Amino acid sequence: MTMYKGMRFVVSPVDSEHRGFYEHARQHRLMVQKCSDCGLLRGAPGAGCPFCTSLKWTWQQVSGKGTIYSYQIVTQAIQPAFRDWVPYAIVLVDLDEQRRVPWRNAEEGEYISVRMVANLVKPNDPTKPEDQENVAIGKRVEVCFIDLDDKLALPQFRLSNEPPEHTPWRAPV
Amino acid sequence: MGNLKDKYCIVGVGETDYSRNSGRSVRALGVEAVRKAMNDAGLKPDEIDGMLSYHGNDSTTAPAISHDLGMRLNFYMDCSGGGSSTEALVSLAIGLIENGNCHTVALYRSMNGYSEARIGGTPAAARPAAATITGPALESLSYGLSSAAQNFQFTFARHMYEYGTTSEQLATVKVIHSEHASNNPKAYYKKRVTVDDVLSSRWVVKPACHLLDCCVETDNATCIIITSADRARYLKQRPVHILSVAGRVGKPFQGMHYQCDPITRQAGYYGSRIVFRQAGVEPEDIQLTGCYDAFTFTPLLLFEGFGFARPGEGGDYITSGVMRLGGKRPNNTSGGHLCEAYTHGMNMVIENVRQLRHQADDSCPRWQEGIHTYDHREGGCRQVKDVELAMNMGWAMPALCSSLIMRR
Repeated sequence: MTMYKGMRFVVSPVDSEHRGFYEHARQHRLMVQKCSDCGLLRGAPGAGCPFCTSLKWTWQQVSGKGTIYSYQIVTQAIQPAFRDWVPYAIVLVDLDEQRRVPWRNAEEGEYISVRMVANLVKPNDPTKPEDQENVAIGKRVEVCFIDLDDKLALPQFRLSNEPPEHTPWRAPV
Repeated sequence: MGNLKDKYCIVGVGETDYSRNSGRSVRALGVEAVRKAMNDAGLKPDEIDGMLSYHGNDSTTAPAISHDLGMRLNFYMDCSGGGSSTEALVSLAIGLIENGNCHTVALYRSMNGYSEARIGGTPAAARPAAATITGPALESLSYGLSSAAQNFQFTFARHMYEYGTTSEQLATVKVIHSEHASNNPKAYYKKRVTVDDVLSSRWVVKPACHLLDCCVETDNATCIIITSADRARYLKQRPVHILSVAGRVGKPFQGMHYQCDPITRQAGYYGSRIVFRQAGVEPEDIQLTGCYDAFTFTPLLLFEGFGFARPGEGGDYITSGVMRLGGKRPNNTSGGHLCEAYTHGMNMVIENVRQLRHQADDSCPRWQEGIHTYDHREGGCRQVKDVELAMNMGWAMPALCSSLIMRR
């Protein structure tokens, strides 16, 4: 049984949108779904293509590099399993691949990017959260992995050595 | 709602006490709230033939409630849902009456939201912490992300980054709602607070949610009864007419809405088109608002989404004083979710119904006759003088809204 922070980590054999993601992660590859018809990538797992409705897709490896688009610092153990991590960061990462594709109703000013949610962890230890002072919108990050067992791993992000995409911003708190 | 404008009314409202230790089942709470709304409307059990509820596997169902009150129903539905569901169910109730399935529909929400099943997933006595991460939770719980404060925080933080929205502006929402709650004997938190009180309360999630930026968690049930304007005129209360309703209006990419920019745009951007067009009114015409204030940030985003403030200017709308009792367009005069109680949206609709009857149940000795002092100082009156037109704005998340416009 796969465990993570004292919780059972269960990826069902029929969970077609998740299974491959965590298996590839164990090979330290970050994957997203790529539509076999229109070729666009998806930032969140799904069964159909939100751009063209195609049901055919494949896993596509991405660079794992991106920019922090938004963030939060959790200062309370809302989930008791994370008590040893508090305070910890959760980041919304804009992946470098396929940024700002116009949505169908372009007049509404809506753009779709490939974004992932993960924790920001220490560069030298993905099992420890990054210090909150180092978390900021605009900073560059890269994927890293927490191996859960022989078959599954959990992707995380860590600060990279690249310069920030723009002047980093974090709230004055 | 086109030609349905003014054809349907809210004729009864009811709620249990707002507490954190009800000591009763959600069935007992629900029965009490429905019975109170029924009595408020002057209806008998055999005069209600439809029932709708919403829940997150933490409530009781319409068959149980109707059984306990001796009702025979022609339609019921217990929907999965939380915020934004009240207005959505009003919309469904109108459809049920319009298509001839029912003539009078009760909708309720019953929850032991503190003592039994806390919304954010924080363990309560009767619901232990999650022990398994599976399915969609792989994408969230794996990262210690489960509560509403966390689910919305990326929007809040991005809004602060893009527009310079401050903690002080957010705290002002709580300050104003606490002023309103101080004039509401039913409110769970009746004490007025200051901006400093909010800013010095402990953090829950940075950068937008101190403890006092988050709503109260309570045990309670609430109920609203809807019927046609034709029937309403024979009932006990002055009917409150529904001008328009929108339920669960979304943005694109609902499954993971943070993919879709601008993430600071609330779904009210879309919902506003439905409710204002159908009602034939503009935001400027609205005299009273009720916003889903799960957090101090949610009214700000709803005001922007529905067009009461331009994008990025919600903070200015809040500090301008417009939404304070005595201001041009008071908001959440009962204290809302931040102070009165957490009911998943229904108490703000109930409050607007009472306001439109001119019977806000404040400390004025003759409020039941609609006679108020309009002295809004602490412990006093919370009735909005001469209010004729009120609007509710529901929230489920940044990418989902609902709304209801009602008139006296």
